[in-house]
Amino acid sequence: MIEKEEKEEKEENKEEMKQMKEKESCQDLIYNPRTGESHPSLLPVFYGFLAGMFSLTMWVMLQTLDENVPRYQDRVANPGLVIRPHAAEISFNRSDQTNYNQYVQQLHKLLQDYNDSLQERNDLCLVDEYTEQDDKPLKKVCQFKRSTLRQCSGLTDNSFGFAEGKPCIIIKMNRVRTTTEDNPLQMQYFPSEGRLDKMFFPYYGKKAHSDYVQPLVAVKLLLTKDDYDVEQMVECRVEGSHLRNDDDRDKFQGRVSFRVKVSNVEI
Amino acid sequence: MHVNIFPISGFVQDSYNMFEMDGEMEKKKKKKIKKKEKLEGMKKEMDIVSNDSYNELEMRYNTSVTKGMTSTFAQQILERDGPNELKPPKGTPEYVKFARQLAGGLQCLMWVAAVICFIAFGIELSRGNLTCFDDLYLAITLIAVVVVTGCFGYYQEFKSTNIIASFKNLVPQQAVVIRDGKKNQINAYQLVVGDLVEIKGGDRVPADIRIITSQACKVDNSSLTGESEPQTRSPECTHENPLETRNIAFFSTTCLEGTAATGMIINTGDRTIIGRIASLASGVGNEKTPIAIEIEHFVDIIAGLAIFFGFTFFVVAMFIGYAFLEATIFFMAIVVAYVPEGLLATVTVCLSLTAKRLARKNCVVKNLEAVETLGSTSVICSDKTGTLTQNRMTVAHLWFDNHIHAADTTEDQSGQSFDQSSETWRSLARVATLCNRATFRPDQEGIPIPRRLVVGDASETALLKFTELTVGNIMDYRNRFKKVVEVPFNSTNKFQLSVHELEDPLDLRYLLVMKGAPERILERCSTILIKGQELPLDEQWSEAFQTAYMDLGGLGERVLGFCHIYLNEKEFPRGYRFDPDEMNFTTSGLCFAGLISMIDPPRATVPDAVMKCRTAGIRVVMVTGDHPITARAIAANVGIITEGSETVEDIAERKRIPVEQVNKRDARACVISGGQLKDMSSDELDDALRNHPEMVFARTSPQQKLIIVESCQGSIVAVTGDGVNDSPALKKADIGIAMGIAGSDAAKNAADMILLDDNFASIVTGVEQGRLIFDNLKKSIAYTLTKNIPELTPYLIYITVSVPLPLGCITILFIELATDIYPSVSLAYEKAESDIMHLKPRNPRRDRLVNEALAVYSYFQIGAIQSFAGFTDYFTAMAQEGWFPLLCIGLRSQWEDVHLQDLQDSYGQEWVNIKMCDWLGTGFLLPPCLFVCRNRVLVSAIVFQLLLGNLLCYCPGMPNIFNFMPIRVQWWFVPVPYGILIFVYDEIRKLGVRRYPGSKLKFITSLTIFFLSITLSTVHPVSSH
Repeated sequence: MIEKEEKEEKEENKEEMKQMKEKESCQDLIYNPRTGESHPSLLPVFYGFLAGMFSLTMWVMLQTLDENVPRYQDRVANPGLVIRPHAAEISFNRSDQTNYNQYVQQLHKLLQDYNDSLQERNDLCLVDEYTEQDDKPLKKVCQFKRSTLRQCSGLTDNSFGFAEGKPCIIIKMNRVRTTTEDNPLQMQYFPSEGRLDKMFFPYYGKKAHSDYVQPLVAVKLLLTKDDYDVEQMVECRVEGSHLRNDDDRDKFQGRVSFRVKVSNVEI
Repeated sequence: MHVNIFPISGFVQDSYNMFEMDGEMEKKKKKKIKKKEKLEGMKKEMDIVSNDSYNELEMRYNTSVTKGMTSTFAQQILERDGPNELKPPKGTPEYVKFARQLAGGLQCLMWVAAVICFIAFGIELSRGNLTCFDDLYLAITLIAVVVVTGCFGYYQEFKSTNIIASFKNLVPQQAVVIRDGKKNQINAYQLVVGDLVEIKGGDRVPADIRIITSQACKVDNSSLTGESEPQTRSPECTHENPLETRNIAFFSTTCLEGTAATGMIINTGDRTIIGRIASLASGVGNEKTPIAIEIEHFVDIIAGLAIFFGFTFFVVAMFIGYAFLEATIFFMAIVVAYVPEGLLATVTVCLSLTAKRLARKNCVVKNLEAVETLGSTSVICSDKTGTLTQNRMTVAHLWFDNHIHAADTTEDQSGQSFDQSSETWRSLARVATLCNRATFRPDQEGIPIPRRLVVGDASETALLKFTELTVGNIMDYRNRFKKVVEVPFNSTNKFQLSVHELEDPLDLRYLLVMKGAPERILERCSTILIKGQELPLDEQWSEAFQTAYMDLGGLGERVLGFCHIYLNEKEFPRGYRFDPDEMNFTTSGLCFAGLISMIDPPRATVPDAVMKCRTAGIRVVMVTGDHPITARAIAANVGIITEGSETVEDIAERKRIPVEQVNKRDARACVISGGQLKDMSSDELDDALRNHPEMVFARTSPQQKLIIVESCQGSIVAVTGDGVNDSPALKKADIGIAMGIAGSDAAKNAADMILLDDNFASIVTGVEQGRLIFDNLKKSIAYTLTKNIPELTPYLIYITVSVPLPLGCITILFIELATDIYPSVSLAYEKAESDIMHLKPRNPRRDRLVNEALAVYSYFQIGAIQSFAGFTDYFTAMAQEGWFPLLCIGLRSQWEDVHLQDLQDSYGQEWVNIKMCDWLGTGFLLPPCLFVCRNRVLVSAIVFQLLLGNLLCYCPGMPNIFNFMPIRVQWWFVPVPYGILIFVYDEIRKLGVRRYPGSKLKFITSLTIFFLSITLSTVHPVSSH
């Protein structure tokens, strides 16, 4: 039976070969070199062409973009609030320096750009006024000195209050190009009103506004011994502006919440 | 080969030899030898039984031919042999069948993907991340797809399995049995071998019985053998073949005439002939349909590639440094992206659309996949009676006045009639009318004459209808010639006569009319009627008669001779006592009136249909139970044997050489009878099938039909049939086609397709639709394949270049299962290419549903263009939102970091948790109407796709459920350049293809694909955000 089938197949193949020969010219045309459409050696050419076309369209597309102004901003219209140190839960043992060192390092790193020496090069701006400078190609940057954060500047207290169990948390509002714009736990704000001053806005984008630093608010949590080993829930919101801070889905839009837990265990 | 081949007749033995060929396979051979022994045993048993004397029978079964068995012994036998009923074969349990539906190639892949999703979801959950339900949705969707498709497949299979049930209807409920010398009516299933049973007209035979006593007993064997005429049953053994001998009546056949015949049961239940046919039919494995094979082939390729891609990138991902879980999820995602989840549903819907279309044209398709089979068919084995012919004896020719006249045989009497002016015709018509016992059933005035119901046998019915049509008002006519006496037909006389008074009351002569076998009639005639004149029947007229008789016989027609005589008034005065037994009246020296020949004429539409099949490259082979001459005549009539084709015998006769000297290859046509077939080896049969394009098989048994079908199988074979005896062949065929009106339930159940109007021409429609759907499925699959690449590449780029994920799995599922199903299906509405019926049937080994060319074109060309289009749109959208292309590269880990809330974009803007922006949209470019006018459904499909896409994109609430975000209208138009590229590209290749019409690729690569591609290239880019 198998033999028979094989035989059949052979014959079939012969027939096929014959038919193939007859059809060859036609098949050549469709999938063969001479027509040049899909012969393997021409595939690279084809892909090369496609890649070229892709690059061209990309280039044309990038040309249409303004290098300073994003084409669409609807998805970042509501800037988020971010805290430093960066963690959803800040938990540490005040007696153990290695325990909170990473948080302190983060804060130092963030504040490097706000060093007074650097900031003194920037201009002083008018308080409570938007620093609009649309007409200038290079925008000036408003001064925000690290020292204005005082106890939370890390200058006087190198541990940002972590050692004494009254940690500083710095709140930063995500910068968004061209945006024009306060808790029962004992807290201390720096600058004192916890304000993000208008003078730091608008932001003109990375290219035109290269040294820009956004204003910061530092919060010193004045925790007492009774608060130790208890998780403290803190939420900060941007208020007094048109910014949304109540989106159920996006927990970082115009607000930020974090937990702090301080313990005091002697080692 | 097949586990359940049982013999019905002695032929089988020889035909079985053909299965002895595969010597290499020791095991099989052993099995076969065993079976052969078993078969031999069976055969012997039957032979002995038909030859045995009553004493031997009594000894054998411990019974009595007068008193029957004792009840107690019968009880023992019943316990030994089991009840007398047809047992359904042991099937696979239902849950196994269902499980099989869930475990196909693609399904397994989807199960694996679903499990990976569950695991991933579980791990995410245990990490306390409650926001990410994507994996769960994905898993549930995948499982739902598998289960729904599985249910559908199971339902399809369930519908077509119940074959045995139809045989049960054939079996009688009650039987009269003689036990302990007493007659009893008992349930038929309690009968045992050796029981003495009594049957009478109207009963069904309750088992295979050996006739002990009978009186004028006739049975209808049509369901078993295909013989339409009633067969006499009597106690004598007339043939050594049990099927042919007269002393055996078979289970389930109907006893038509006769009073109280008794018989001894020699076989019960599954051991009876019908039982064996039933097991044969249910045992013959259903051949896989060609489309199923094609789809499996396709699925294998897809599954293989999916695993290949998945695994490759799993390894790549591990190598790049992703965690094991991540790499596993990549594997899953690639599988999901690559596997066309909606394909099976699309195919099913396409096929059922065609099935619906066929149903409107009187072809009911039982097994959905069989829709396409007819399109691939290259051989049709057609039964004759009822399929090619009208299944109605009709007068075809008359010979009178030394001239052959053709009668109108068309179904609706639209043909030409002959000259009826001759005096001889009047006499002939009178004989035909009077010497006829058939009568119309009452109350049929409104029905056309050919369709009226008649009481009487086939030839008398034909004559009655013929005379009714030509003479008119036969019942009244007969009343005018009062019948005095009649002698019915019997096999020794081979004639039938009746004596009538004349119409004219003054003419006191009697008229004797006679009809019968022409040579017997001629013997009794001394004169012949020519143009109304009685001429002496001399040598010359005898010769003319012989020529006419041979001519008509050669046409395969049944010829009857007619003669009459006016009885001498003095010798046979009024009131003469005619004695039908003694025949005390003149029965010789009659006057010959003419010959009338009858045939079951072909249906009017058949020759045209056969011609169409021929142009479509399909070979029509006739396989019939009828006689070779009749079979050949009909074959020639309908064009199965074409004009000018000769058989070996014809050539021998023409050249006046012995048959052996003829080169077989010279003969186009060949007629093989069952008797010849039984002496042929399978090689000889294959040779015959190969050498003679025009084949007719006559006098074939059910097994032989099966063997013929098997010999043809290599190519795709369709079998048509209507009888119970056809059911094994119908089942065995790639596509079995049963007749809806004439067909038995067994045949209908074994078949895949039913012709509601019993019309062979409907098969041509089936072929056309089958071919069309194959081509259209090709288009659907090309569409599906093209889609695969732009769905897959985002993942590959995502893994290797670490750009933010352009296209998520959920989105892919939405595209596959929601928006893209309708356009794929709409391709089933594509119109036929005009030359579809002029092409040869596809070669199942070469013309695949998916071939390399199609794959290369879809994957590496159109798919590539679309992927580039997709990425253009993706990068455009990203850049316009503030993420320049170069920044995107390597951005993945930060992009997906839930805790990073101030990721900077190219403008220095800081973004909060971009994960929420797993933007998606399914947007579409409105395709230019120009391209879609050819197929209105396609237009509506595109509109549907647009609406659904827009709903998904812009419906408020969607962002919350699936993270779909509305996309900008502008982004729809970004891929337009690529759309134009596809158009140009396709036009160029079409230019080439046009120079070579006839290439099948022409329509695959046509405009349809083009504009669907545009649509697609816009889908992905937009969704790719």
